Amino acid sequence: MLAQILALVVFVTMFAFIVWDRFPKHYVTLACGACTSIFVFGFAMKDAKAFINTMAVKGIFTKEFWYSAGEHAEQTSGINWATIIFLWGMMIMVEGMAEAGFFDWLCLKIAKLANYEPVKIFVSFMILSSVLAMFIDSITVILFLAAVTIRLGRTLKFNPVPVIMAEIFCANLGGSATMCGDPPNIIIGTSLGYSFADFVMNTGAIGAVSLVIIIIYFYFTMRNRLQDPGDRVDPSTIDVEVKIDNMKEFLTSTIIFGVAVALLVTHAITGLTVAFIGVFIAAITLITAGRKAPMLLKRVDYETLLFFIGLFIVVGGLEETGVLVVIADFIAKVSGGNAYVMIAIILWVSAIASAFIDNIPFSATMIPVINALAQATGVDLATMAWTLAIGTDIGGSMTPIGASANVVGISTAGKEGYPISWATYCKELVPGTLIVLAISMINIYVRYL
Amino acid sequence: MGQLIISVSREYGSGGHEIATILSEKFNIPLYDRNMLDQMAARNGIEAESLHQHEEMKRRGLVRTVRGHSSSVQDSVAQLQFNFIREKAASGESFVVVGRCSENVLRGNPALVSIFVRGDEEEKTQRICRLYKLNRLEAKAKMFRHDKKRKAYHNYYSTMKWGDSRGYDICINSSLLGVQATAEVLCDMVSQFVETRKAAEAEEAATEKKSS
Repeated sequence: MLAQILALVVFVTMFAFIVWDRFPKHYVTLACGACTSIFVFGFAMKDAKAFINTMAVKGIFTKEFWYSAGEHAEQTSGINWATIIFLWGMMIMVEGMAEAGFFDWLCLKIAKLANYEPVKIFVSFMILSSVLAMFIDSITVILFLAAVTIRLGRTLKFNPVPVIMAEIFCANLGGSATMCGDPPNIIIGTSLGYSFADFVMNTGAIGAVSLVIIIIYFYFTMRNRLQDPGDRVDPSTIDVEVKIDNMKEFLTSTIIFGVAVALLVTHAITGLTVAFIGVFIAAITLITAGRKAPMLLKRVDYETLLFFIGLFIVVGGLEETGVLVVIADFIAKVSGGNAYVMIAIILWVSAIASAFIDNIPFSATMIPVINALAQATGVDLATMAWTLAIGTDIGGSMTPIGASANVVGISTAGKEGYPISWATYCKELVPGTLIVLAISMINIYVRYL
Repeated sequence: MGQLIISVSREYGSGGHEIATILSEKFNIPLYDRNMLDQMAARNGIEAESLHQHEEMKRRGLVRTVRGHSSSVQDSVAQLQFNFIREKAASGESFVVVGRCSENVLRGNPALVSIFVRGDEEEKTQRICRLYKLNRLEAKAKMFRHDKKRKAYHNYYSTMKWGDSRGYDICINSSLLGVQATAEVLCDMVSQFVETRKAAEAEEAATEKKSS
């Protein structure tokens, strides 16, 4: 009982500090991880095995960590090293692509293909944002898209704010479609043993329907606010340079990106795990980068990786002490074992929670909960996993602090003199989020229950 | 005259803004206050008020930071102003800047003279009553509200505390001589600074010429 209380106190303290945003997040999770190790595993449980289980270092040295022929749960508790290694690899690849000017080139090329017409740019950037976020972290996607949107907005005299907000929403939606699109999905996939194809066939299919509907919704609600008819600029007078400074670097980074996508799409067939793919992609990026390799390594967001390590330890504390089973039992009791109610609870609770708190710790906490729920009630684990992924990924769009992409988009716009307040943001994106969540719930009910 | 940057921080009602205006007229250099956001608003085709309402304010409400990016509008507007001040200073332009943590943003710049203007509570209250046609109670409430906001803003974005004499070159009480006379004293001090700097630069140039 003491161990459970201590684990819960550390967990709640960690969340409070994350929401307070006064100290760097990785300091918070690492400090709380240390507290879990000392007070929960050491002082209360006196269980070295629980600590070793949570560290999960041994797993890295097994063959299954890098290559698994059949589908199975790769890791269910403790530090999810597969997620951390995969994210590290993808961060290096994305840094390589950014260095080569890939994103600027792609955004400007698409704007040119859209004939520099604001409404066409608006729609095509929503699609681009979704597609890119399926494979690349949404922070990078929005960082480049928002910057290019502001640049084009000034040249073409349109209001970039609605476009940026639609891009943010679509990046979060695109991220929900694949296993590597959003950190919660990577954690869900690696923890419960789902493949890239599993995500595409399930959350991807639901996301595709939602994307079509949300594009129509944003088109009708935002198009008239994009530009004053008097501000229209003749496309033939536009002089936006679309060029590549270093063609060799550009082609190399594009090929590596293609290889990464191919490896991810086929990983269930090849048996290569996401950890292997991450290391392989990082290795070829660094080898081909030559003298730029140290710079790429330096630019990796190690703070986020450390944040993950601390977080997994704290959640491991909840898991080892059985707190998460209590939560699962509570959900089972509230829903009366009814799958419809259970799905609705998971979807809406995770969506609303993700709108205000980081969806990564939330999903990391919920995975063992849905696992226990599936065992206790017999409801299909996969259905709950897709529901959790959609709830956490989409719910994050609801507020400016719900997801990383929102923060980066708002900050990029604000630093260029386009302030986006809570009121402005919520007015535009809360209805869209609710529509997509409702559509997703209907989709899940019809398809799985 | 080489580059000259005068940063004026002030307590509400102390007449700091008026002193900054006199200094800018005296040295014939532009004055930047909240007007620095007007240029940005005009460039972006938005209402300046949408930026003004968030300036000189500490971040509010639920905020999240991701890789150095903040979801707070106040943070964004503050950074916007800090960048404006940095760019102006880097361009070699001489100017007077009021508030906006400018003494912190430009700390270490050899062309900078940073001033903090304070005042006695009674004098400040009377001045606010006169300027805004308020009674004493309202004037005091307004003064405390503004100073609290400025202090919170400054202390959040700066390394030194608001009004701490170690953070400024000159700290002065405008109630001692009155706003006009205080401005004149400061003009003399800044003129002296300009002369001293000019002489030091000339000496440095001569030494360099001799050694080459």
